[in-house]
Amino acid sequence: MTILAILALVGGVLCGSLHLHNVVLDFLTSHEDLILNCLMLSVGISIGLHKGIVQKIRQYHVKIFIIPIGTVIGSLLGGLILSFFTKYGLGENLAIASGLGWYSLSGVTLENLGNATLGSIAFLSNLMRELFSFISIPFVARHFNFYSCIALAGATSEDTTLPMMMKYTNEETVVLSVINGVLCSAVVPVLIPFFMGWGI
Amino acid sequence: MFILIVMCVGVLIGHFLFPEKLKRTNEIFQIICTLTLIFAMGFSLGSDENFFQKLFSLGLESFLFFLIPSGCSLILVFFLTKRFFKSHAKEKETEKK
Repeated sequence: MTILAILALVGGVLCGSLHLHNVVLDFLTSHEDLILNCLMLSVGISIGLHKGIVQKIRQYHVKIFIIPIGTVIGSLLGGLILSFFTKYGLGENLAIASGLGWYSLSGVTLENLGNATLGSIAFLSNLMRELFSFISIPFVARHFNFYSCIALAGATSEDTTLPMMMKYTNEETVVLSVINGVLCSAVVPVLIPFFMGWGI
Repeated sequence: MFILIVMCVGVLIGHFLFPEKLKRTNEIFQIICTLTLIFAMGFSLGSDENFFQKLFSLGLESFLFFLIPSGCSLILVFFLTKRFFKSHAKEKETEKK
């Protein structure tokens, strides 16, 4: 699966950089939301087929928030550490780290807030996070635990990295993964302007 | 949020309507959707004229901004879940036995 995913990515980049256009390519690239919704419906069906999952999720209670909180705080901690080594201010470092893997939104938001360089760094670093988490989920699931895969994926744990969760973890983790993705996606647009507003 | 609603609809379909014998077909469909999404993502990246230029000029800094926050998230969640989700792990082990 990982090899197929890398081939699909490289193939996509090549077709895009060569500006290839035909009916199929145009349909695929302009209907990403539709494909994602089909995928989510299919993932939902898989979860529904797994009897007893709702009871398992209920057992978590408020602990269900541990993963998203840990994901956000961990990333911000990383931004704080980087502020000692980079030329950017603390707020700027934290703003970049707040992307949580959502490369399109974080890049555009930082560019709109007036810093094109920070926007490009946010775009690339969050893109790397998405790609790396996609590839490394099998390794992390084996050597850490299933929940750590969710942390690595950040905001992408509800969409692009979800199929890898499906494949290498279990249905319970997939549900936690979607919840984490929704919550992380909700905080990204809040955190980036907040930290950029610090002006330090 | 819409995506969550779609998934919930899927859960209901899977629980009440979907035949168990089509489980494998559903899994293959997921793989096809995933690969299509990744291809589409690559396509939009490749279409960006400045993508490779950005990658080479800001690559190292971007790599650090990917590595450190992701690593910290992973380690923190690993220890938090190891500490707080312990009972669930034990329950699962008991279930297996």
